[in-house]
Amino acid sequence: MSNVIELLKQNSQLSGWRVNETATKSYELFFVHKNLETVRATDTVTTSVTVYVDHDGKKGESSFELSAAMGEAEAQKKIDAAVQRARLVFNEPYELPDGGELNKDLPSNMWDAEPQTLGRQIADAVFAADTVPDGSINACEIFLYKDTVRVRNSRGIDKTQRIGRVMIEAIPTFTEGTESVELYEDYRFTEFDPTKVTAEIARRMAEVRDRFQAKKPETPMKISVLLRPAEILEMLWTLVDDLNYAAVYSHGNLHKTGDNIQENSTGDKLTVTLKAQMPGSEKSSWFDTDGASFQDTRVIENGIVTSYFGSSRFGQYLNIRQPTGNLPCLKAETGTMAKTDMKAEPYLECASLSGIQVDLFNDYIGGEIRLAYCFDGEKTTPVTGISMSGKLSDVLKTMRLSREAVIEGAYEGPALLLMPQMKVL
Amino acid sequence: MSFSTYLDGKRQDCRELVEALGKHFQYVSILGTDVTATVIRADRNMSMVQDGRGECGFVLKMHNGHSFIEYSLDDISGDKQALADQIIRETAIDAELQSRMIEAPVPTDEPMKQDFSRENDFADYDDASLLDTCKQLSADLISKDDKVLNAFAIIQPYHVSKLFITKNRELSQDYGWANGILMVIYNGEKMAQARFGDGASSIKEVLNILNGGLDQVIDLARHLAKAKPIEPGVYDVITDPSISGLIAHEAFGHGVEMDQFVKDRAMAKHCMGQYVASPITNMHDGAAATHSVASYFFDDDGVLAHDTQIIKDGILVSGLSDLASAEQLGTAPTGNGRRDSYKRKAYARMTNTFFEAGKDKLEDMIASIQHGYMLFETNNGMEDPKNWQIQCTAEYGIEIVDGKLTENYVSPVVMSGSVPDLLKSISMVSDNFKVIGAGMCGKGYKEWVRVSDGGPNLKVRVKLG
Repeated sequence: MSNVIELLKQNSQLSGWRVNETATKSYELFFVHKNLETVRATDTVTTSVTVYVDHDGKKGESSFELSAAMGEAEAQKKIDAAVQRARLVFNEPYELPDGGELNKDLPSNMWDAEPQTLGRQIADAVFAADTVPDGSINACEIFLYKDTVRVRNSRGIDKTQRIGRVMIEAIPTFTEGTESVELYEDYRFTEFDPTKVTAEIARRMAEVRDRFQAKKPETPMKISVLLRPAEILEMLWTLVDDLNYAAVYSHGNLHKTGDNIQENSTGDKLTVTLKAQMPGSEKSSWFDTDGASFQDTRVIENGIVTSYFGSSRFGQYLNIRQPTGNLPCLKAETGTMAKTDMKAEPYLECASLSGIQVDLFNDYIGGEIRLAYCFDGEKTTPVTGISMSGKLSDVLKTMRLSREAVIEGAYEGPALLLMPQMKVL
Repeated sequence: MSFSTYLDGKRQDCRELVEALGKHFQYVSILGTDVTATVIRADRNMSMVQDGRGECGFVLKMHNGHSFIEYSLDDISGDKQALADQIIRETAIDAELQSRMIEAPVPTDEPMKQDFSRENDFADYDDASLLDTCKQLSADLISKDDKVLNAFAIIQPYHVSKLFITKNRELSQDYGWANGILMVIYNGEKMAQARFGDGASSIKEVLNILNGGLDQVIDLARHLAKAKPIEPGVYDVITDPSISGLIAHEAFGHGVEMDQFVKDRAMAKHCMGQYVASPITNMHDGAAATHSVASYFFDDDGVLAHDTQIIKDGILVSGLSDLASAEQLGTAPTGNGRRDSYKRKAYARMTNTFFEAGKDKLEDMIASIQHGYMLFETNNGMEDPKNWQIQCTAEYGIEIVDGKLTENYVSPVVMSGSVPDLLKSISMVSDNFKVIGAGMCGKGYKEWVRVSDGGPNLKVRVKLG
């Protein structure tokens, strides 16, 4: 596919071009209970080409994908067609990011590992947690990926990064007689530590046993709901997505810089920084899809929107001097309340949700709870079969953030977020 | 548009690779895919004409006498024996894991040679005319109300070519589908986003849908800008066809994907032949069950499209299987083996999933409710096939008071509860019917495929929050 660069360079109709290439080799194991059902391997390259044509005082662009099997003549045809498409597009002018060559790996201890052996080691670490009486892992899928990501453009960017990453999808299950329940586990990492894998699956095995014992509590009730990192991240990303340059440019954002998103707050104030990298996260990156370097950026400070973020193009549209790049990781500052204090009064701690629903425009947060731990002031019991809901603005006003921090996936921040007085049905 | 000339030129390469791998494996199939997608879009500030999410490559599925091996790659040209050797090397299995492979029967390889094709009108429209249409639709929406901050019009045609070859079987198919979407960002009493869209097998039909939806999406935006949150509670509810389809899909469709039976992940496995819904409930799935986005001729395992009745008069009668799950369960595959792309595994997946129409009139259904809601438009949903819990989110609901729809809109509306309770609460089923073909479905949180779902209006009793 190296010829496509030459074809692009030779094309006098172009004012610019960009080529994004992701080469992925994977080795995948699919288990039914402890037995292997399917083994897969992949060796693929995805090449996306974007052409830019300046015309009539405007900028046109169009992208297409190149198959590895395409010859030079077919690639030329694709370029010609994309040029015609770009001429139909009249967008405001902007410059492609320039400068820089980079060839740097992201941290991973798995790049040189032999996939068959590593796959077996990961499977061993998963099934080492399958020790709960009446518990089982009914299904498990293990994906080992080696990605090489390269971005080149007409302004001299040529950046490559390699990452080794693993995704485990496991289904911890608990069965007694004909009754059975399960939970869903999605665990991703870039540094393989068998002890951590076993501990993570074991945590879920314990929770699925609790789900089996869980009862539907008396409802309706109003109670403090505790969110864990996965749901905190989901909630914060909903707030932060609203601050993307592209959302601002398309008039699709609710909040503007200077807005206080926690007006009359009686709880902990939010301070959120978007970052390029987070230890152990597969989302970590040295550059974005434009090939632009990242600028870690604080977007919310003490509840006030301080900055937008996003791609070079939309940053230029908003007259941002130094666009941040589309930052992939999020850090939230910790709060003032110890976890033990959060759990001193009655609470409902969500361990598994069907998917938290956060709607900025409709001022809503809620979701169906598959497993939670309910403390009534005296004892803690697992509960299920309920849903919670509330106004997002009320939550932002009154929420408390734990003093204790965790790093989990693309998130660093409070280990718990407390939402007072949520309606539970 | 017709079948991919690229794939057509690869038929002999496919046959040779199947033959080379056949020396090592007891069953070999190859699926070649060439899917082209286009996105044409305009809003107040920008426009776009470019390739959408397509794919072009190959995936091999082999059986080693115990179970299944797959290999995905971009190109199969060159020395086939060398390529076969590489595939065998890269799919090698650790000895300890090899000893833990399940024993699944080797698939039968029934002889069949056929080329399937469905005409479409994509060639009648060029990029320029479609982009002009999108620009005009966007401008028309913006001009309808000065509170419209932005309006998006999107047309997304895609064309599928697939080639499936085994030792005894050679199938090809090509067909197209197009989606159209309108979206308005509206600044009324509060900010609101209103969406309108559907799909069709011809661009002409999509353009008719979009042109007919302009006033509807503006009216919806005005109402959503005034929408209030719903007071959580258990209500009598009427579903529109998209929400009926969402219930069919999330409540039961995922639960009868038979790869979940193999993994003991589905309650439905133990409920075959039992009442799982009210006796007026009938539910289908299948690429051949109706004409919509997932109406292919054969699945990604080379199994011909089916119309599978899942629920008959309230009784669960069948599940949906891919080749691997059918082999393990000793059943006939139902043509539901689907892949996110050639890069991903085939799983048992839904296609077009819907409830059958009933006999009730929608106006009688609404009139039967003293206080409740009519729910509209799918936002998202999440399955829980083992525990039969459900979460379905509707974009909005309209309050029903004393048998009449009011002007009171609520948004969003999250419907949750137990699947059997929900399905057994179905008390009325309307005589109208619609399948909406603009959706995507994941399995868990990945493996996205295009699906449709729908049905008639249902009257149910369910928890809203």
